[in-house]
Amino acid sequence: MTFMTYRKLKMHFIEHWVKIVVGFAIITLIILAIWGMMSLESFYRHLTMAQMPISILLAGLNAGIFVFMYMIFLHGGFSKIKQATVKGQNVNIRWEDVIGMEEAKQEALEVVELIKDRTKLLKIGGKILKGLLMVGPPGCGKTYLAKAIATEAGIPFISMSGSEFTEIFVGVGASRVRKLFKKARNLAYGHGACIIFIDELDAIGRQRSFSFMGGGQETNSTQNQLLVEMDGLQEKDYNVIIIGATNAAEGILDEALLRPGRFDRKIYIDRPNLQEREKVFDYYLKKVKYDRDIDIGRLARQAVHKSPAEIENMIKEAALIATRKKKDTVGHKELSEAMERIDMGLKHRKHMTKEEKEMVAFHETGHLVVMYMLHPTDDVFKASIISRKEALGVVHHQPREELYTNNKEKILADIKVSIGGYVAEKTRFGTTSDGVAMDFRNAMWKAHNMVWMVGMSDAGYIGDYTIIPKSQLSESLKEKLNAETDKIIKNCLKDVEDLLKKEWPIVERFAKELLEKEELEYDEIEAIFKECGKSHSCKKPA
Amino acid sequence: MNACLKKYKALVVLLILTGLSACNKPSYPTGKIEESVLKLCKNEYNLDNVQVKVMGSTLGVYIPVEGLVNLDLKLNEKAGKKIEDVALSIHRVTTSTDMPLKFYILTARDTKTVGAEFMLTGFIYDVVRVRLYDISRGEYFQRILRDFRFNPAILGEQKARDLFDGLNKNGALAESLKSIFYPLYIIGKPGSQKIEIIDIESKELSERESLLYIKTIEAYEPSPGFEAYTAVFPPGFNNEYLFLIDLSFGNAIKEIVSKYFYSNNEIRQRNLKDTFEQYRDSGITGIDGLPKKDLDIGWFLSRQISRRIKSIFEEDKKLKNNFKVASSQGEIKDLVFQFKFNIASNNNKAGGQRIIFSKIIKMTGTVLHLYAFEGYKGVEFINSAENEKKVYLSKEDLERFRKNEIKIEGLI
Repeated sequence: MTFMTYRKLKMHFIEHWVKIVVGFAIITLIILAIWGMMSLESFYRHLTMAQMPISILLAGLNAGIFVFMYMIFLHGGFSKIKQATVKGQNVNIRWEDVIGMEEAKQEALEVVELIKDRTKLLKIGGKILKGLLMVGPPGCGKTYLAKAIATEAGIPFISMSGSEFTEIFVGVGASRVRKLFKKARNLAYGHGACIIFIDELDAIGRQRSFSFMGGGQETNSTQNQLLVEMDGLQEKDYNVIIIGATNAAEGILDEALLRPGRFDRKIYIDRPNLQEREKVFDYYLKKVKYDRDIDIGRLARQAVHKSPAEIENMIKEAALIATRKKKDTVGHKELSEAMERIDMGLKHRKHMTKEEKEMVAFHETGHLVVMYMLHPTDDVFKASIISRKEALGVVHHQPREELYTNNKEKILADIKVSIGGYVAEKTRFGTTSDGVAMDFRNAMWKAHNMVWMVGMSDAGYIGDYTIIPKSQLSESLKEKLNAETDKIIKNCLKDVEDLLKKEWPIVERFAKELLEKEELEYDEIEAIFKECGKSHSCKKPA
Repeated sequence: MNACLKKYKALVVLLILTGLSACNKPSYPTGKIEESVLKLCKNEYNLDNVQVKVMGSTLGVYIPVEGLVNLDLKLNEKAGKKIEDVALSIHRVTTSTDMPLKFYILTARDTKTVGAEFMLTGFIYDVVRVRLYDISRGEYFQRILRDFRFNPAILGEQKARDLFDGLNKNGALAESLKSIFYPLYIIGKPGSQKIEIIDIESKELSERESLLYIKTIEAYEPSPGFEAYTAVFPPGFNNEYLFLIDLSFGNAIKEIVSKYFYSNNEIRQRNLKDTFEQYRDSGITGIDGLPKKDLDIGWFLSRQISRRIKSIFEEDKKLKNNFKVASSQGEIKDLVFQFKFNIASNNNKAGGQRIIFSKIIKMTGTVLHLYAFEGYKGVEFINSAENEKKVYLSKEDLERFRKNEIKIEGLI
């Protein structure tokens, strides 16, 4: 035997030692079993042979029962990978159903075209799309869009959640990834292409951590396997497209996942804007019976920052409320109630004294009138003296459009609205309650930030003083800054006092209405102000 | 790597196939049955005086045992252990052979107490079934025929030999029996006669009776005046005798018949061989302890059922108090089972007969059904204790009775 042959044999053994040892063990066991059988008398041999099928069945049954019990009692049930495969056509979500994300839709449409025209693309030497990452807040339709891609492309769709890969045993997740891709490749072989949709990708796609204790190894190995499957060395290139969805910030995901060849296309799916919200409202309202006089534009304004899922939920909730009220259609009132229920929680009436109730009514009216008369951006949609959670009353307001910055006027208006309750209480009763605590906290916090952080004081203090340790700030500067804060509050207080003194009949009127009706809707509020010859201070959206 | 795996797979499959084909070979093939039993008994149980014979589908094994019975005429414990070992060897061979054996007979005879023997007769399929837990051990023991008895043929042969020895030695005995052993003691000079047995054949007529056919050579010197007889009976002439043995009779020899007799002034002779042949042998083993005929399932079932009839009324406490079993015999003749028993009711109650027949018929139907035995036309039950009360059931009626479709009242 030459030295090279010896080395080759050794290399072969090192490479395949597990298989060789297992094979050797199996052959030895078979030989021993046959030897044992042959040493038996033929009656017992036949008996053993006859019992073999039932023994195998029983062993299988026992193993099944053991695994079942093990999974039930020690593993919290069967959390086994399901790998639900669905044919694209059966997903049945079409482009028309995807609303409220026009830009994302356009990008997704391109993806579908790329999947369909893969051959064409290959011919001209284009880059094949491997992965598509959809990022955005929850409930904005990432899964929905993925389903629509599957429907439009007409290819099989395997949907899994990132959490389905995570296990306490190292290697289980990785093995599931392998199985998933194996299945996807088979489907791609049969159908031309296959989509793997991994929801909540951040569960396995977080930046890998390396701990000497071994923590996080499972997630690391799962992610490594995912990386390899997506852009590893494969014998044959199959048309498998991975769509990942996450609501985690992009920085949370591992960089290796985001490099070209993996999730090389990203679609940002944000909350819908005003026009998109209108479309969403229109789409979901069509699924229920609703009053034709509902102002969808107003609803869309009211639902600022709401995701399509929240809007859908709101309409379903409204339908439930309408059913409970034995109404045939969903009206604005039900929608408003539903929104309020989602935003503010359920009403629970507290038994208050007449004086208390009056105090609350004037307090809320103070907020309401200041908001309506002075706030530049927000609309008042509701005023209520029915208690919810810890609040005894509420004035529900929303900006008319998405605002991503706050100017000085808006912050000042916010402060004035906050202290409006205090002023109304003091004016009406000559005394005040502790119901103003939260209002004051908000007002003070905003005024403080105006001066200390964003340079909005009249005295010209520019800069963010909060980043300097307080010990390094001179006492005089601190005093000056605090004096500016105080000045803002006092100025706001004066403005509010002037306003409410001037408009006291309107305050009285609203307080009376609130005491009578307990709740006032947008239309009622608008009507009273109109009756009193007052108009809204805020600008109409463009 | 794939090629390597394929090689592994091929090797594993080859090994399994080789193993399976090897597993199919019987451990004790046809033609080596006797040898196998002898080898097992010798190598594993250290028994080297065993004799084996296969007669058709019946395997016979004989083992002489010293001190088979104790003084109280019960089976000796050591002897019982030996019998158990031989039985185990028989079971092992009969269950692991390709020879279509159906029955086995194990005979153990006492070398000291002449005629004392223990016999085990079993159906081989029952052995298989009990090993497969298809029948209980209790049921299995009910299915085996166990006989512990004095063999009338062996005992009779011994008595006959003793008698001839006595005749050769004792003139007075010969004188007293000279008319039976004609003509030797009539024509011979006293003291000159010698009888030599050249052959004995025996038949068991019943549990206690046997018939012996004995051939002798008889030498003598003629008495004065009888010289002329030497022409008819030359010294060393051949003679024959029939011995009827009955163990319940005094010295067991109930009757002796010689070939020659003197009647109406002339010497006549009987054809004893023909007479002997006319009797049916109810024994299953010969003098050598080995089977002399192939057993059949009808015979086996008739014996088994007759024993079960006894055990019904002896093992159940309540029945034992109310009934007395004197005897029970069974046979199958012309495809009809006949069970003759003597069971009497102790308190002469009216329902006694009903209970007796009902229990027996039910049991018979069940046993025949369990053996799936179809080779019979009907069953006759006779209770000799009740004026030979007979009940006959065809095969179909027996099956209907078993299924409770016929009531006992309609039968008796």
